[in-house]
Amino acid sequence: MSLIFKISARNILRHKGKSLIIGIIIFLGSLLMTLGSAVVTGMEKGLHDNIVERFTGDYVIMSTNQKSEAVVAGGGIDPTESLPEYTNIDKVLKTQTYIDSYIPVCRGVTMVLNDKGDMGYTALLGVDIDRYEKMFHNNIVAVEGKLLSDGMKGCLVTKGGQSTMYNQMDVWLTPEGAPFIESNLIPDAKSNRASLNIQSNVVFMGMNSSGDQMDIRTPVIGIIKYKKLDNFWGGGGGGNGGGYSILDLESFRECFAYNNAENTVTNLTGEKKKIFGSDDNLDSLFGGGSVVKEVETGNTVYKIGSLKRTEVKTVSNANLDAGVYNLIFVKIKPGSSSDAGLVRLNTVLSNSGLGVKAVTWKKAAGTIGDLASIMKIVLYVFVGILFFVAVIIITNTLSMAALERTTEIGMMRAVGADKNFVSGMFLAETVILSGIFGGFGIISGGIIAWIFTGIKISGGTNNALEVLFGGDVLNPILNGYDIIGCIILLLLVTIIAYLYPNIVARNITPLEAIARD
Amino acid sequence: MNIIELNGVKKDYPLGNTTVHAVRGVDLCVKEGDFFSIVGPSGSGKTTLLNIIGCIDNATEGSIKIHGEEITNMADKQLTDIRLYKIGFIFQTFNLIPVLDVQENVEFPLLLMKKFSKGEIAKKTEKFINEVGLREYVKHRPAELSGGQRQRVAIARALVTNPDIVLADEPTANLDSETGATILELMQELNRIEKTTFIFSTHDPDVLKYAKDVVKIKDGQIISRENLNH
Repeated sequence: MSLIFKISARNILRHKGKSLIIGIIIFLGSLLMTLGSAVVTGMEKGLHDNIVERFTGDYVIMSTNQKSEAVVAGGGIDPTESLPEYTNIDKVLKTQTYIDSYIPVCRGVTMVLNDKGDMGYTALLGVDIDRYEKMFHNNIVAVEGKLLSDGMKGCLVTKGGQSTMYNQMDVWLTPEGAPFIESNLIPDAKSNRASLNIQSNVVFMGMNSSGDQMDIRTPVIGIIKYKKLDNFWGGGGGGNGGGYSILDLESFRECFAYNNAENTVTNLTGEKKKIFGSDDNLDSLFGGGSVVKEVETGNTVYKIGSLKRTEVKTVSNANLDAGVYNLIFVKIKPGSSSDAGLVRLNTVLSNSGLGVKAVTWKKAAGTIGDLASIMKIVLYVFVGILFFVAVIIITNTLSMAALERTTEIGMMRAVGADKNFVSGMFLAETVILSGIFGGFGIISGGIIAWIFTGIKISGGTNNALEVLFGGDVLNPILNGYDIIGCIILLLLVTIIAYLYPNIVARNITPLEAIARD
Repeated sequence: MNIIELNGVKKDYPLGNTTVHAVRGVDLCVKEGDFFSIVGPSGSGKTTLLNIIGCIDNATEGSIKIHGEEITNMADKQLTDIRLYKIGFIFQTFNLIPVLDVQENVEFPLLLMKKFSKGEIAKKTEKFINEVGLREYVKHRPAELSGGQRQRVAIARALVTNPDIVLADEPTANLDSETGATILELMQELNRIEKTTFIFSTHDPDVLKYAKDVVKIKDGQIISRENLNH
């Protein structure tokens, strides 16, 4: 064995040019593979941490009637199906030992209106803010005003939503009772500062999956940012207008014409639907005083002036869980198997006949959830092409080397070397080249990944970069699996590149040593 | 005792649309310890005959026995073993491994055998390097040696395994006459000391004076055999 390695190593040195060409290709391939794997793993971990831990949990439970499972990011403006009887689902979830925590939420996309008739749209989450913040590590921070407190009604508009609404409706939203922060104005708003239409409340018009629609005027309590992935969740990068603004649960349900807790658990009557559906309801929201209009519902005449804007008030003693929800975000306990848990959860949900199903966060997050996998595929395709070219070049170079060394190999065969010795010699050459240059490439890739982690390259306000980084900064992570993957790929390249030259070399007969004399 | 026996050996090979009859029914016996020369002009078939005897090439027809063992139907692995254990080769163009130094080239077949210890290999290698007079050149690579020195290395390599037969295909063809004579004298000396059978081919009449037995070959056939008994 040492003889084979000695001859192979010296042959590599003897043919420095060829060895260097092969080595550089292997080095670059290994480096890119290692660095790319580290970036993708970092992105995957970042997305997982920032989405699972801070936005959706591991699973999202939704109605079985929900057409698109990508309800969080890719749901578009299609209404999200409401969950049947959350309290029953809650009972089932409480029995699942692998579940760490969960939170029911309302989710939908609403029209945003101003008094001139301009409109925009935004995604809304209706949440119990205290519970949400507790489950998702206080991911929401107020940049103006404050967060909703327990039972308070109102909305938290994202910073991205604030800009989007200004662009769409020429309205600059600022929280009620909060000091106006000049420096938060976007450049366009600054240039129109004198005529800026500043408002502290906003009109949302929601529509549920049954086609019922309702509009409410609600105060802006705060302008918020998401600590992680704000460009995506709060900046409009996810195709949801200005990202996910937050609305208190009761207002959300009112806006989407759902049963709310205050209306108790009874169904919204046809009468109320008729009242809420009245055209004059919308107009009344923009009026200064009380607009009174009689609406005939069949049994009673209602005066809808009472529906005028929702005031900031707290909801007391209301069992919020009695109202309608759209989704449940579920976190599993650390160390639990995500796949096994999902199967168990869906089995128990299905057996309970609740009409709900659980999907992974990746499915619920749509494109962003698939991004890590897509990036991994792109990386592997890119590196695959690189290695394919490397295999061709290495194969060609080694085959040429075999032919050039016909006399030498033939002579070795003549003096007693068998075919396996010749194969071993070529394998050793390929292994040495791959080992040295590939190993150096993997180490260099690891060092570069480590440097990138140290210098914390920021994605700035670029949505794509934030998603690509899996967070605010590039944070490549090189784990053992990645290194093993790189080594396996390198071995694969080595073996493939070696196959043909080996056949060429093995077929050299001792006679050829003499024939070429 | 005959170490080599050839009966009716023929070798044909295609050349374009024709068939070249390189060896046409050769019968030949070589005794153990002989210093045997095959003489003939270029293209007479002497190299082909040596290759067949050395298990490097296959005969188209006929029987070849080495130490009484028929080799014509042997598999590649068996032929390789015969080349390694029973035959030593000296080529016209030396054919040393360029990346190995003198010592490593000589010990190469011993390492292939995988049956000697490091000490035994070193001892045997040293002995034959000394016998061919290259003690001072053990760490030189082939490119740093003259033609004569390279051929000495080839001789040491051929003999280091203590083979039954050494086949030398025109060993002096690429050497000047003085060096060629030295090489042949060395081979003769080793034949005497080691009792190894030497078969060498040549087309140089001056070389004949070193041989004990001479076979003249022409157009693939033996035309005469002469025992010179120097």
